[in-house]
Amino acid sequence: MSSTINDFSDRLSPMLVKELRQGLRARTFIAVFLSLQIFLGLVLLSAGASATSDRAGSVISGIIFLFFSLAVLVVQPLRGVGALSTEIKGGTIDMMVLTRLSAWRIVVGKWVAIIGQSALLLSTIIPYLILRYFFGGMNLFGEIMLLGLIFITSMALTAFTVGLSGSSSVVLRAILPLMGTPVLMWSILMLTFSRGEFDDLISFCSLEDPDARIVIGCYIAAAVYLGWSMLSLGASLIAPAAENHSTLRRLIALALILMLVALGIFDQVEDSVMALLVLLVATPAIATAITESAPLVPTSCVPFIRRGPLGKLAGFILYPGWPAGVLFSLLIFALGIFAMLSGPLLHGNNFEEDVMLVVFSLYGGLLFPGVLVVFFRSGESQRVANYLLLLIATGVFALVITGVAEAMSNRDFLWLFIWNPFVFIPMSEMGRFGDDELLVASIIVDLILCAALLGRAIIGMRAQGEVLRQAEEIVDSGPLNLPG
Amino acid sequence: MSSAIKIDNLYRYFGPLQAVNGVSFEIPHGSVCGFVGANGAGKTTTMRILATLDYPTLGTAEVCGINVVHHPAEVRRLIGWMPDHFGNYENMTVIEYLDFYARALGYKGKERRERIQEVMEFTDLVPLAERFSNKLSKGNTQRLGLGRALLHDPQVLVMDEPAAGLDPKARVELKHLIRVLAKEGKTIFISSHILSELGEMCDSLLFINNGRIVHHGDAESLKRGSDLLGGVLYDVQVDGSAQAVSDWCVLQPNVEFLESRKHGGRIRIDTEDPAKAADVLARMVKDGLRIVEFHREQRNLEDAFIDILGRLDSGQQAITPPPPLPGTVPAPLPTVEN
Repeated sequence: MSSTINDFSDRLSPMLVKELRQGLRARTFIAVFLSLQIFLGLVLLSAGASATSDRAGSVISGIIFLFFSLAVLVVQPLRGVGALSTEIKGGTIDMMVLTRLSAWRIVVGKWVAIIGQSALLLSTIIPYLILRYFFGGMNLFGEIMLLGLIFITSMALTAFTVGLSGSSSVVLRAILPLMGTPVLMWSILMLTFSRGEFDDLISFCSLEDPDARIVIGCYIAAAVYLGWSMLSLGASLIAPAAENHSTLRRLIALALILMLVALGIFDQVEDSVMALLVLLVATPAIATAITESAPLVPTSCVPFIRRGPLGKLAGFILYPGWPAGVLFSLLIFALGIFAMLSGPLLHGNNFEEDVMLVVFSLYGGLLFPGVLVVFFRSGESQRVANYLLLLIATGVFALVITGVAEAMSNRDFLWLFIWNPFVFIPMSEMGRFGDDELLVASIIVDLILCAALLGRAIIGMRAQGEVLRQAEEIVDSGPLNLPG
Repeated sequence: MSSAIKIDNLYRYFGPLQAVNGVSFEIPHGSVCGFVGANGAGKTTTMRILATLDYPTLGTAEVCGINVVHHPAEVRRLIGWMPDHFGNYENMTVIEYLDFYARALGYKGKERRERIQEVMEFTDLVPLAERFSNKLSKGNTQRLGLGRALLHDPQVLVMDEPAAGLDPKARVELKHLIRVLAKEGKTIFISSHILSELGEMCDSLLFINNGRIVHHGDAESLKRGSDLLGGVLYDVQVDGSAQAVSDWCVLQPNVEFLESRKHGGRIRIDTEDPAKAADVLARMVKDGLRIVEFHREQRNLEDAFIDILGRLDSGQQAITPPPPLPGTVPAPLPTVEN
């Protein structure tokens, strides 16, 4: 008996052991893996034979990257769509959370298992790259760096799908891959088949340009942060009420936005880059905080109450649940705007109205579905799903209404729809309206949304008074004496 | 000493739906308690709160004196949870399934292997060790689920409808396993629709309806309990014809003749007070009926449950006496207050 359960060390995560045992027996993965090898080999040989000598290497690189990208950027992340939902549907997630496995370890175990298989695919690319080397004209470092970046992107995309797979909304789990897959496939095909662009990309990845190092460094940091945020969201979605994943997620987002504020104060970053960085940090932070369906239970409040008045104060933005999440989102919003304005205010830099308008529009676009979810879906367990679907819907609506306005040649008509702050971006692009008047309007709309959220959050917080009282009781009662 | 399970004024609302509505009860250590109710009555919600998988809107739930909301991690070490439905994994054998949970529970090396072996022997899963867990029969799946719930040797076992969908043989096997666990001193809280089975293996029964506990007592007291109107059925056998009993009943104010039998019949006495039944018997003898047999009929548990629900429908309130301790005299009969 023992031989069959001694195949993996005790040191490995139980989730990884489980996923590997299942995954290694899955015929689909073996079939895909072998098919890819045979297909790549045949294509490589035929491409090598048919291409002229000066282009052969580049053609082969393009083919290798095309198939590798499709496998790890499309197929592998799609496998994550059902990662947690199948456990939830099968009723096994409850049994897992009753063990010593935290929700985080469950989610990470699922993610690592898929990433491990992607790594296996990456390792199979190496023989083809060695073969390709003999065709000449290879930018070795650039191609290896690009492979690495594709793999990191795959990790982030897989984290995205694994995290969202914790949502019970079938619509969300279906829509995002359906929307994302064609975009990704189109992008991959464009990059690999357009010879100039592919060569430029490899050249960029060779890090000869100092700016490329910064851009790639920021890209990796953003991929890690977004991927981590999504895995943390997945953990929140499946965790029992007493498991708090929100506070750490918010603390990290807060630390990052404070870092950006510091960079802004010392005028280290261009305004447009700062806007991008602020939005990168704020988007997952606000989207996850504002939609948290986890109820506030006394156990989650205990660590805050133990830290005295300062801890209790911090709790107002760090307690799990949407009311504290809304206050946290508003703080992130304010800090992000301050980081953006610190250049013009403290160093007399040019105030770039168009950049600020985009930031306020996107911020407002993030807050608007939050207001709808908080006011009209307060009792729903599918807050995240509803929020993301509303976010997509408002974005699409802004595009459609802009098209209608242009077709009617009546662009003033768009003012009727500024309650959806995404509309400000196409309005700015049209050139008919002044950026200053659009900026003022977008600030007013954002402030109204903030006020609505704040009011609802205060009501929600007041309802949590009993939970805080119970938490204080736990702190007062001292350590627990376990039976037997 | 604290109870194994103590629930006090527990409420759980899902939006406007009141799934659990002020439930209170206690289950002593080492007893087997059956949890009975229609679908949607609040059984699973109550059990999930005990298993730390859900949280109460109001009220407290404790396992071995530990609050399930305040200290969920500690409660999980004490409790084994067997849900009504759980899927098994594809491409994973029975032994690998148990191994995964043993690892997840923190068992390592030799201790892990020994624990798995013990559980497999107890649940008789050794011959199925290399079978894929998702290819098992319903009965074997339930045994696997029980094995998983027992891996960390919990003090309290919470089982939600474990017998649902099992064939008679598998039910008998499951009942046997529960009896063995009860003998080992584990507290077992089990829900089921099959009242007769619960009656055989449980020390006490909890009836829940619309999120409220409507009865808490032992099976025997229910079988001997009164009907919807507070009456009790007796079987009377005489040395003579049934007509004599029927004729005698016509003249009695609180006695109703229900059905003729070969040498007597079934009668219904309008009270559940045993002293009043003794008076009826004495009057029968005094009036010349040659009584051969006079005994109280036992109802089946389904009838008892329906009667309790009937009382509630008619606006009466069922009183829930405290549960009996194992091995002690059964709890008093449930009484009804207008």
